[in-house]
Amino acid sequence: MSRTAKILSSLFIAFWVLTAFAPSLIAPADPLAINPAQAFQAPSGAHIFGTDESGRDVFTRVIHGAGDSLYIGLAATALGMGLALVLGTAAALAPRWLDEVILRVLEALYSVPSLLMALLIIAFTGPGVGPAIVAVGLSTAPGYARLVRSQIRTLKNSEMLEAATVLGRGTWLKVRNHLVPNALQPLLALVTLGIGQAVIWAAALSFLGLGTPPPAPEWGAMLSAGRTYLHLAWWLSFFPGLAIVVVAAGATLIGRALGGKVKAI
Amino acid sequence: MNPLLAVENLCISFAGQQAVDAVSFELNAGECLALVGESGSGKSVTARSLLGLSGGTVSAEKLMVCHENALALSEPAWQKIRGNSVVMILQDALMALDPLRPVGREIEDVLKEHGTLNSKARRAKVIEALASVDLPDPERRMKQRSTQLSGGMRQRVLIAQALIGDPQIVIADEATTALDSRLAALVLEQLAALKNEGRAVLMISHDLAQVAQLADRIAVMRAGKIVESGTAEQILNYPQHEYTRTLLQAIPSGVPRFAPLSTKAIAREPGPLPPAGPDTTAALVVENLSKSFAKHPAVIEAGFVLPRGSTLGLVGESGSGKTTTARMVLGLERPDTGTVTLLGERFAPHSEAARRSLRKNIGAIYQNPLGSFDPRYSVGQILADALSAGRSKRGTSYKDHVARLLEQVELDPTLSGRNPRELSGGQRQRLAIARALAPEPQVLVLDEPVSALDVSIQATILDLLDRLQLETGTSYLFISHDLSVIEHMSDSVAVMYQGRIVEQGRTAEVFGDPQHEYTRSLLTALPRLR
Repeated sequence: MSRTAKILSSLFIAFWVLTAFAPSLIAPADPLAINPAQAFQAPSGAHIFGTDESGRDVFTRVIHGAGDSLYIGLAATALGMGLALVLGTAAALAPRWLDEVILRVLEALYSVPSLLMALLIIAFTGPGVGPAIVAVGLSTAPGYARLVRSQIRTLKNSEMLEAATVLGRGTWLKVRNHLVPNALQPLLALVTLGIGQAVIWAAALSFLGLGTPPPAPEWGAMLSAGRTYLHLAWWLSFFPGLAIVVVAAGATLIGRALGGKVKAI
Repeated sequence: MNPLLAVENLCISFAGQQAVDAVSFELNAGECLALVGESGSGKSVTARSLLGLSGGTVSAEKLMVCHENALALSEPAWQKIRGNSVVMILQDALMALDPLRPVGREIEDVLKEHGTLNSKARRAKVIEALASVDLPDPERRMKQRSTQLSGGMRQRVLIAQALIGDPQIVIADEATTALDSRLAALVLEQLAALKNEGRAVLMISHDLAQVAQLADRIAVMRAGKIVESGTAEQILNYPQHEYTRTLLQAIPSGVPRFAPLSTKAIAREPGPLPPAGPDTTAALVVENLSKSFAKHPAVIEAGFVLPRGSTLGLVGESGSGKTTTARMVLGLERPDTGTVTLLGERFAPHSEAARRSLRKNIGAIYQNPLGSFDPRYSVGQILADALSAGRSKRGTSYKDHVARLLEQVELDPTLSGRNPRELSGGQRQRLAIARALAPEPQVLVLDEPVSALDVSIQATILDLLDRLQLETGTSYLFISHDLSVIEHMSDSVAVMYQGRIVEQGRTAEVFGDPQHEYTRSLLTALPRLR
């Protein structure tokens, strides 16, 4: 990464971390405070993103919604990647029959469309933040797991590990010094890409009314609510949508830059 | 006579970088010119420019190919010439042939492109061409794909493909490099036949000994320039330029053991070996070693003894079982039968845990050292890791020791902060040797350690290995397909063929009076300058 790119990515991450943990620093108003007299105000100096049908400030809601959206994105990716690391590493190092079993399970999971799987899970548990995380995490896990498996497999058979064996290194030293660090490096880029994707997923579920319940500010839910008034108040949908695009695109760009050295992604 | 190729002040550059600088030569019908140089010398780019394939910016005072001004040729005009009047035989026959198509089809394409024959006549011509390069059973072979043919057959298919258009100029770009001496001799024979038929042959090679057999004239290239050219006899016997002399000196065949190959090394007397001590057990004893992969035998009852402080050369063509033997010796592959004894103790078959304490006594050097380094480690970290047995890669506590190791393999200690990727091929191999030496092993297994290097670099690495053996008394199991390297490096030799060791003994005896038919065929094909 170039120096400028590093600074820009750091600023980008710092901004969203701040909005997620301390939204009130940026938008001190209450995201749930209604003011019917101020409904459907177009963006102006007082309300830079305008107001919605109940007169709530859209800017405040977008900022306060970052927490939930990013939380779902991060947690879902962590869940998916964690599961993938366990399954993928096990498959790569396990005897052939266990590898085959894990692969078949992953393929079965892979063949179910992600959205369908998410709907299935939510049908059991009911909508909410937790189920959304599980749904998104589970549906991304098989793809990651296959990558982890091939990554570890390639490394396991590499000349590098063979050289370590010849130098007399035990299994633990080989795993700690060579296998894990070399496998994780390309995955880091993948995780960053995955967060952007997971944010979109989470928003999509909320959009369908299966994620964070209203009136909590969540980008997907706001997008969905604003859709009804699209013909008279474009800003209701536009700004939450913009936030989703900015986060997803930003995470993707950073992931690409991190993975620049690593091919195959 | 009007030359078929006339090149005057040819310059080729890539994005401002001069790759070929004012190169001039001529080539007549029935003549062979060899362009000799190391990788990066510009010889291949020069050859490609004769086919309009250089890919760079070409300028020249004169560039005549088959009496046509090549500088003015359009791409369609080039296509008429390529494969027809001028052809090129490439180094890697497996890469040059489409693995999904029968080889006969590949050859026929040339006729389709340039001729007006019907399919039956084309078929007959393909068979004729394959027969002319001594490919056995051409009717059957032409229906097979390149992956089903052996290396030698593939190379012959490529030659047949080159010849079918009845070319006036044949360019052979390292066409013998990847082959063992028997196959190389076969290809050279084919090229000689072409020359005698009155075609012009341009040979591109890094190996002076190889071109010596065929070339009428030799041009030595270095850094884009021809540093010396003349008749083969002049160049080989009375080289004028310093660089030509370096190249000639670097050829290991016929050079006595421990005599230096590179100009930098100081001549050394074989001198007394370091005292072997009271322990006179052999460094390595291999008995009755066999290994099969999926019922296909790779190594059959191999056995040899490596005495302390000496070198055993294991020679054979690719696929003969050398590397599998090495992997069993290193405990990386479990033998089906047989044992490996290291310094009097059982090494294989054994459990890895039981073997680990013995591991410090045996090290390995590979053909491609870069793949054996952790890509995240710097030079210093690689060595610190080896010195600390994997407990620390931070150089601080091992700084002096790392510097001493680098010095031992003649590497600049300031390189320790670099990543191995930034090193040259020769430097990487030196680093690999330094790492292998870190635990002070008694035995080094060297699997094709110089096969990927240019001759002059190869010479410096072989000199280094000689020096280290004299200093430390380490025993080498030296594996190579290159007879001349084996002859120079080994005290005794084992010849492997189709998984078996067919002959072994003192180097001078095996090379002077080979008993097995295969060894004899290898040795008669070995090009000799001395």
